[in-house]
Amino acid sequence: MTFNSLQFLVFFMVVTLWFFRLKSQKGRVWLLLIASCYFYMSFIPEYILILGGTIIVDYFAGLLIEKNEAGKRKFWLVISLIANIGTLAVFKYYNFFIDNIHTGFLFFGKPLSLPLLKMALPIGLSFHTFQAMSYTIEVYRKKQAAERNFVVYALYVMFYPQLVAGPIERPQNVLPQLKEFRPYNWDNVKEGMARMLWGFFKKVVIADRLAMVVERTYGHTHESSSLALFTGAVFYSFQIYCDFSGYSDIAIGAAKVMNIRLMENFNMPYLSRSISEFWSRWHISLSSWFRDYLYIPLGGNRKGEWRRKLNVFIVFLLSGLWHGANWTFVAWGLLHGLLVIILTRKGKQQPDSKANLATAARIVVNFLLVTFLWIFFRSENIGAAWVYIKEIFAFRGGSNYVGVNRAELIFSVLVIAIMMYREKFLPVHFISKNSLFYLFTFCMVLICYFFGVFAENQFIYFQF
Amino acid sequence: MLKIIASYFFIVFGLAALWVSTSRSVIKCLLEKRDNNEWWGVNQLIHGDLASISHLDYLNKFSLPTHSTLKRANYTGPKNTTLFIHGDSYLYKVQDSIFAGISSFHFTGWNNQYHYHLDSSKRNVLIIEVAERLVRNYYGTTEILDELCDTTITKKNISSLSKPIISEIKYSSLFFCTDPMSIFNKNINQNLEYNLFNYNFMMPLFGCKAAINYYLFSRASGDVVISKDKHFLFYKETVSFTLPGSSFSPLSDDEITHLVSNFNIIHDYYKATGFKEIYLSIIPSTVTIMQPEGYNNLIPRIQNDKRLKMKIIDAWSVFKKSKELLFFPGDTHWNNTGKQIWVDMVNEQLTKE
Repeated sequence: MTFNSLQFLVFFMVVTLWFFRLKSQKGRVWLLLIASCYFYMSFIPEYILILGGTIIVDYFAGLLIEKNEAGKRKFWLVISLIANIGTLAVFKYYNFFIDNIHTGFLFFGKPLSLPLLKMALPIGLSFHTFQAMSYTIEVYRKKQAAERNFVVYALYVMFYPQLVAGPIERPQNVLPQLKEFRPYNWDNVKEGMARMLWGFFKKVVIADRLAMVVERTYGHTHESSSLALFTGAVFYSFQIYCDFSGYSDIAIGAAKVMNIRLMENFNMPYLSRSISEFWSRWHISLSSWFRDYLYIPLGGNRKGEWRRKLNVFIVFLLSGLWHGANWTFVAWGLLHGLLVIILTRKGKQQPDSKANLATAARIVVNFLLVTFLWIFFRSENIGAAWVYIKEIFAFRGGSNYVGVNRAELIFSVLVIAIMMYREKFLPVHFISKNSLFYLFTFCMVLICYFFGVFAENQFIYFQF
Repeated sequence: MLKIIASYFFIVFGLAALWVSTSRSVIKCLLEKRDNNEWWGVNQLIHGDLASISHLDYLNKFSLPTHSTLKRANYTGPKNTTLFIHGDSYLYKVQDSIFAGISSFHFTGWNNQYHYHLDSSKRNVLIIEVAERLVRNYYGTTEILDELCDTTITKKNISSLSKPIISEIKYSSLFFCTDPMSIFNKNINQNLEYNLFNYNFMMPLFGCKAAINYYLFSRASGDVVISKDKHFLFYKETVSFTLPGSSFSPLSDDEITHLVSNFNIIHDYYKATGFKEIYLSIIPSTVTIMQPEGYNNLIPRIQNDKRLKMKIIDAWSVFKKSKELLFFPGDTHWNNTGKQIWVDMVNEQLTKE
């Protein structure tokens, strides 16, 4: 069940209305848990067992970490981490690992045939395992009390708006909200609905429209002109942003309707002036996860310049791997890491954000850097990414056709501009006047219907 | 109070919509009842399935032209053949009168259990007809053996055949109802759209969206693609570069080997259950014939594979040479000219001594 499906709209309507009809928090938690199970099972029903398994392990690990002292606390934390990372390793990375062993042995002339796992990657596995890990780590650090109510804990991991593509939440933010009965609040409903509509707009009007251009250029690299390939690369930057941040908007908005506040995941990343600033604005819940649970425990910037560089390198390597079991993601992560290492020095602060020509130039250069790195992210393999980049810099002619006609190309640029303008200058989703809210809703529904591209495209980040 | 009543109404309405859209039997019933011109009905296929899906029929684009009717078979020889066809919508509602020399005719399709028991005194012929876009999905496995099978034997027990008699005819096939699972029905979004929005009175709204896409962006809505010459509609899956139903997605030699191997397993099973002849006939997608640049050659690679045991009814070779219009402009299927060519090829095999 993707957010941009009719099934979700009906499901959301039923769950939300039912949620507000219940008079106890216990009933609401049960309702949300059952709804979340249905939501998850609508992808591949059997995979609920994998998710359920890790939830049970982490629930008991949390209790045992809290109950025990020193060494035993660590033991139960390690058990929890092994369960979570082990699940990721088996279902996400096993085939990648075996494929590479096969390639290695073949290279030395000794073909090997180890068994491969023949099953699809469970949807959103990386998201919910990271969220589960943040719980046991926080309990271990004594910053969060272990949750005794199994249903509440299960809902913390499975809360359907952020179950399959984040934001990757922290227990301190979500658990208290799941335990507190909050009455119906019309202002929250309006803000949540407005934000959801904005997310739908970004997904169906922008991201899925740009996908037509991106699919064409990445599928016809050799026939397309350099200009067409460059257009495809730039459009992919906006496609993945609108796709993922659109998902986050819908998730945050859906939770807001039910009086639950989720963390922000994006802050206009393409207006960053450097790669490190980009990472403080892009997928914030993941980058802060890596900062809190990996970079800082590794020593952060406290153990000298070389150690800082090594830590940054490790974080970006793992961040790349987190996205997928493919060398393209590893390369994408490493290149980001290298750029952060090369372009950022310890203690050097970003200059003030003044709207001048130099700032604009830095934003453009940074955007182009990010765009070129997205080519690795989008391509089937490193070779294809390299060819795509080479063809752009060949400055050659060829077909300028990018999968859509000129009117749609202009329309695409126009909606990107509208989206950027609105997010920069009108970032608030709350509309106080009811009449304005109804007008906004009516217009957004019409725009999404008449200008939306409905091809049941999944959200890109679901695959992670 | 009114708000409470409204909220309960919408909860019940939503749950009912979800349930109805996952229930195979209810959808089947609705499809039959709502196939009319009333405001609450929907003429799903009257102008061609692709023209309807994209609502271009509302703009009078790509509508079905009038076309010839199929000829009755004119054969006076002996009628000693029992013809079984395992097919799809290309042969939807096909009549037995068009086939020559047959004493009885049985048609079944995917998602239908069909149990047969052959009369060995007859010449039993099985034709496995499949649309090109479905070959890789359907014959990537040998699931057909679970659906179309002899009443007395299992796949593992094909040697113990007993005295045959022919079972009752069972017609098949349903649009939208291909997944028998209940609450996790994968067709739920199509079914919800059908139940909540697909009504004749809503057509002007759909027509507006189709007009915006067609006149402003030169494309069709939804899963439909307009051909380069602007004369045909193609199902998006058949022109994708990644989906297995596409005529252009990569197709490795290993996959061809796998498909041929499955066809051989299927051949051996049906041969062992008493079929005298087993034919494979892959019907090319419209795009394969009308816009073949970059074709992955799925059909010739299977048909020309020397390991393949099944006999072939080769529509592809004939269609690509034909100068006639063999497909509907706004439909995934062939027109009656195309179908007649295929029927003539079948009849040639059926009347062979």
